[in-house]
Amino acid sequence: MALDKDIYRAFEDVVGPDNISDDPAILDSYSYRWGPQTETFGQRFAAITLPKDTAEVQAIVRLCNKYGIQFKASSTGWGSMSNPGGPEVIKMDLRRMDRIIEINEKNMYAVVEPYVISVQLQAELMKRGLNCNIIGAGGNCSAHPYAAHYGGGHMGESTSLRERNILAVEWVTPEGEIVKLGSLGSLGEWFCGDGPGPSLRGITVGHAAPCGGIGVFTKAATKIYHWAGPPIFPIEGVSPQYAPSEIPPNFFYRYYSFPSAKEMVEAQRRIGESEIAFEVMGFNIAMLASNMGTSNDEDYAYFEQFRKLIQGPGFQVILMGNSPQDFEYKKQVLEQIIRETKGESLKPVEDPKIAGALIWRSIRITASIRECFRAGGAFSAALGGTHPYGEEVAYMEAVSKLKKDLIKKGILRDDDGYYLTWPHEHGHLGHAEILIQFRQTPESIDAIMGFSEAAMKMAIDNRYGVPHSLSGMAPDMHDMFGPHASNYNVWQRRLKQAFDPNEVSDSSGYIKGKQQQGVS
Amino acid sequence: MIDEKKLAKIVGATNVSHNPATLEEYAGDMSFVKPIKPDYVVKPRNAKDIDKLVNLAKETLTPLVPVSSGAPHFRGDTIPGIGGAVIVDLSDMKRIIRVDRMNRVAMVEPGVTFEELIPAVEKEGLRLNMPLLPRKSKSVIGSMLEREPVVMPKYHWDISDPLACVEVIFGTGEMFRTGAAAGPGTIEEQWAVGASQKEAAGPAQVSWHRLIQGAQGTMGIVTWASLRCELLPSIEEPFLVGSSQLDKLLELVHWLTRLQLVNECFILNNINLAAIMAKKFPDDYQDIKDSLPPWTLFFNIAGYEYLPEKRISYQIKDTTDIAQRTGLEPVGAVSRVSALELLKAVQRPSKEPYWKLRYQGGCHDIFFITINDKLPGLISAMYDMADEAGYPASDMGIYLQPIVQGVNCHCEFNLFYDPENPSQSERVRKLATSTINNLMAKGAFFSRPYGESTDIIINRDAASVAALKKVKSILDPNHVMNPGKLCF
Amino acid sequence: MALEDYRKDMELCAKCSICKFIPLEKMKGVQPANVCPSISKYNFNAYSGGGRVNIGMAMLDNRLEYTDKLLHIIYNCQMCGACDVSCKYAMDMEVLEPIYEFRIKAVEEGHTNPALDKVINSLRKQGTMVPGAKAKRGEWAKGLGLKDFTRQKTKVVYHVGCLTSYDKDMWKTARATVNLLNKAGVDFGIGGENESCCGGRAYQMGYETDFIRQAQNNMALFKQCGVETIVTACADCYHAFKVLYDKFGLKGNLEVLHITEYLDRLIKEGRLKPRKKVAMKVTYHDPCHLGRLGEPYIHWEGKEIPGFQRRFDPPKELMRGTYGIYEPPRDVLRSIPGLKLVEMDRIKEYAWCCGAGGGVNESNPEFSLWTADERIAEAESTGAEALVTACPWCEKNFNQAIKECGSSLKVYDVVELLEKAI
Repeated sequence: MALDKDIYRAFEDVVGPDNISDDPAILDSYSYRWGPQTETFGQRFAAITLPKDTAEVQAIVRLCNKYGIQFKASSTGWGSMSNPGGPEVIKMDLRRMDRIIEINEKNMYAVVEPYVISVQLQAELMKRGLNCNIIGAGGNCSAHPYAAHYGGGHMGESTSLRERNILAVEWVTPEGEIVKLGSLGSLGEWFCGDGPGPSLRGITVGHAAPCGGIGVFTKAATKIYHWAGPPIFPIEGVSPQYAPSEIPPNFFYRYYSFPSAKEMVEAQRRIGESEIAFEVMGFNIAMLASNMGTSNDEDYAYFEQFRKLIQGPGFQVILMGNSPQDFEYKKQVLEQIIRETKGESLKPVEDPKIAGALIWRSIRITASIRECFRAGGAFSAALGGTHPYGEEVAYMEAVSKLKKDLIKKGILRDDDGYYLTWPHEHGHLGHAEILIQFRQTPESIDAIMGFSEAAMKMAIDNRYGVPHSLSGMAPDMHDMFGPHASNYNVWQRRLKQAFDPNEVSDSSGYIKGKQQQGVS
Repeated sequence: MIDEKKLAKIVGATNVSHNPATLEEYAGDMSFVKPIKPDYVVKPRNAKDIDKLVNLAKETLTPLVPVSSGAPHFRGDTIPGIGGAVIVDLSDMKRIIRVDRMNRVAMVEPGVTFEELIPAVEKEGLRLNMPLLPRKSKSVIGSMLEREPVVMPKYHWDISDPLACVEVIFGTGEMFRTGAAAGPGTIEEQWAVGASQKEAAGPAQVSWHRLIQGAQGTMGIVTWASLRCELLPSIEEPFLVGSSQLDKLLELVHWLTRLQLVNECFILNNINLAAIMAKKFPDDYQDIKDSLPPWTLFFNIAGYEYLPEKRISYQIKDTTDIAQRTGLEPVGAVSRVSALELLKAVQRPSKEPYWKLRYQGGCHDIFFITINDKLPGLISAMYDMADEAGYPASDMGIYLQPIVQGVNCHCEFNLFYDPENPSQSERVRKLATSTINNLMAKGAFFSRPYGESTDIIINRDAASVAALKKVKSILDPNHVMNPGKLCF
Repeated sequence: MALEDYRKDMELCAKCSICKFIPLEKMKGVQPANVCPSISKYNFNAYSGGGRVNIGMAMLDNRLEYTDKLLHIIYNCQMCGACDVSCKYAMDMEVLEPIYEFRIKAVEEGHTNPALDKVINSLRKQGTMVPGAKAKRGEWAKGLGLKDFTRQKTKVVYHVGCLTSYDKDMWKTARATVNLLNKAGVDFGIGGENESCCGGRAYQMGYETDFIRQAQNNMALFKQCGVETIVTACADCYHAFKVLYDKFGLKGNLEVLHITEYLDRLIKEGRLKPRKKVAMKVTYHDPCHLGRLGEPYIHWEGKEIPGFQRRFDPPKELMRGTYGIYEPPRDVLRSIPGLKLVEMDRIKEYAWCCGAGGGVNESNPEFSLWTADERIAEAESTGAEALVTACPWCEKNFNQAIKECGSSLKVYDVVELLEKAI
């Protein structure tokens, strides 16, 4: 819905005429949808704004309160959480806020604005012998720790996950106040986000990010980690034929398959407890094939080759040694664990050229797009579980049966029905996903919706927890899960109402201030 | 005043007290916070009792002050902020509900102390990431809710660790379970499918545990909590590194934590190390203190299930290499202090009497979070201010604890004093509040403000205070939970 | 082909934003990270490769009218193809092709840009994309005694291109080329006043019909004169003859060489021997139409295989920029004694555009120079004293930007530096 001219002018006064538009062409580049949608184009924003700094964000938020217009802020804007929840929503595309504010090498944190993408930060860090968590969606996503609905990624074993890496934060609340969490508010320093007293980090993020539903996080500090690899990975070749000239010293890659999920999970547990892995990523072979293949044809060929070579479910491991002796120890322990758990290495990927390419791709996380979208442009997933050695696998095994049914019916791509699991913090926490690829047709979309609903219902009925995928996808889901989970929906709604009394921070990826009728 | 019968109906008559001596015990502590006598002390037996107590308090607008650790208390947070309060003493809730080896997690009630929990988790091959030598009566949950720093920074991924999930009765009288514990299903049903109440965040887009931590009981009362445990090492090799140059030790700490090479890792000045290690006061203490370098770094290398000897061996080599680069030498003993003895000490609660009280009978702690770069300036400023106040530098203990995997450092000045000596007490009291602004100006972040200095600290950031008050208005709209604390 | 023919490609856009950045595997720091001048300058998503295909879909779905903003989006793209390469690292979909088609559709439906109309009028009247009379096209060669391939049969034709023919500042490059070809003993001719625009830039501007007319006329002339090999020093001409003519089935057996390929060959065959020292530290700018867009056109005919992976029978190989002309110009520079070649951060398939392509030079000079400025800063950061390129459009744009920003950087064509060494 078009903004009233005076209102448009008010926003224009904030960002300048070049940084606001309500032209349909501009709007439609934001309303295009991928994934299980019935329409290619969703709801248009009322206008797109491009604020350049916190002051402009704050001014926009205040105008939204004044005029009763909702806003949705996003960084790289991938995923449905970036979409408007209604016709009277203006977009804050935070593209112009793209600075790394600080890299504090000695104290191991970095401060970023929303439009710094993860590979930019990682590349800058690697020059300093440091690394950062990158979400599984890929290095093309924002490095800002609030800018993804779920913050787990391939390197979770050694770099944790986003929610737990957050330090100080600058937050423009839905009412337009600037709240500086932790040491930032007290001292103007970025090193801590908690206190004085209770930590306001608690109201800003949970196991999922708020997805635009509770204001705008304009800057955030995040923990960073040691990197023992070279400042620049020795990648050669021309796109997409990239591979390293050599595997840098003290790096090791293997993909292992196991006779069953039981052995696979046991191997993950032992690897976690022995603290040896830089990365454990539970790719199934379809995802591995997508990672390696530079086209769908190559992807297909690899998958057909690998499915004949594996015993069952598997994962990839990357070791990184901080010293030659550290590396040797880790390798020996890994070999022992794999022996004990009956793992088998997938031979073709032992080739140093292939292994080297996979190491880099899985650290930079460049191939998630290949894994999810290249086949047919659409994917979906059920995400669940945080306890890597029990509940997570039980849930995935159960959902996998649903997936296999759809494969049999010809709705989904046949990847043998596998799921993926991976640990965080040396196995203290974990995450699981079941990825499905399909072609968008009215029938497949119906089937996918049914699959998602069944997976959700299963999570409730079988006590598998509140799935990570819940947030950012459908706000009504909170009212479905909440009554089964300490009525968290009621509490989260109270926070929403207190911090966003005018409901201007678009809740389409959060919880709405008012409960929808008919949802219990 | 609340009707005693109503309290007795909830917890049983034997668990309600308004005996003057008992009330006196809870009216004050070892801090400089003004004593206020509660009306009652109640000892709930379980979560149901707590639920009923909170609901009664809500109806009668009676202030509740939750207390989980036993005396002595040091920070004033368990002293009623206003009159008419009921102390909810949780120390009798001592169930160790579960220890889960597979998921490395334990679940306990608030009255469980470190001394009680340690053997229970050890039986399963697990251990706790402990604060430094907590007093014997210290509640495990109390420690975690206070975001007390822990001695193994390597396993301290997030400042909220090792706390996982909690069950809490908010000030509204409603029960809530945080994180993965929220549901669906009962805790037992969750166990049945392999879940273990480990993920602290959530459910969904809020991390409730973070709002309960650091709140000093102002949001609700925790009825149980789960916590991360670590594996019990199969071999350990502890080291000490003494030096007069703190900057070199900090450089070494940076690399040890960055490379996640060591488990226990902290720095003590000679005063604190002597206070911990001395067996006889004052002679033994004085001898050890005098024999020690100004600063001693302690760290511990551990091996676990796989190739433990090999792991220890190469990690010693790696740590030695790093130490040599900074011109330092890790050794097994510094002067009369043995690394092994210190390791054994810090893996348990303090022996009685509590180590902070052994020297002079009293101790006031000034503590904050900072980063390594700022430490030398902060310590120097503290010495100057102590000197100006007439407090002898030779009596000031310093404890530096890297936390959050070395991203932050907890800095603690322990002002030992004789509480029976009014002039000493007054000097420490004044010093404790007068230093705050200066320390903040030099980079001290007082993330856990207690007692008299709370206002100075918390009022610096009006926007955060306003946000906290909104949270409070949701979780405890009637202001029955420990009123008068923090900004509430 | 038409925009509608790319619907299935456009539907694959996942909005991942990878088209906005250099290939992620190659990123070496916080900057330079961007690869697309248009989104870098205008910031709204519609200006990115992905955004352009998204609104292409909207156009097909009749959701859009031709507003000023839409036309601004359509015409403010250098058609440099960087988005296409970055996307195809991960995806099997066309990006640049639908962007071309969107612009062509706009032109066909009468929504042209006045500045570009002017250029095309010149093309139609004088056969040139830059101001100048047809009769004066060969003036640069006056006195050089070169063969006219339309009169004297020569297998090799040196196609000079519009800009070099009419811009006196560029004549030095043409003459250096002639000098080098002569020294190598190459029997070649030029078209002189009979040379006509390749049409490539008309295609970039969306004037497909004009391009085809130019291509047909040129090929007719080449066939008539028995031309076997075309050599050009203009990346746009190279791309047009080699790739676009082939795409439209007009190229036949014509061998198309960029001068850097030809010189590289002559040096390697020993027919040119760079011996004189050229003590200079330089950095090389890959022209888009020589580099990532300079790979051979891949013809394909077949059908999509039903299934969940978008695959084709026979397999369809996409042009991903992998086989562009990257090494020959570098090899020529490396062959020059004393010359030190240092690389910028964005090179080869992910080189940043000079800003002159896609009609932007004519329709929005400010944007064109803004784009060049960014490259100049990147070149300066290498410590090089000169920026070397292999296309007159790049050279002209860089020179103009340098003049305006006051940089001390010098700009050369590869040919000029080689001439110094011979």
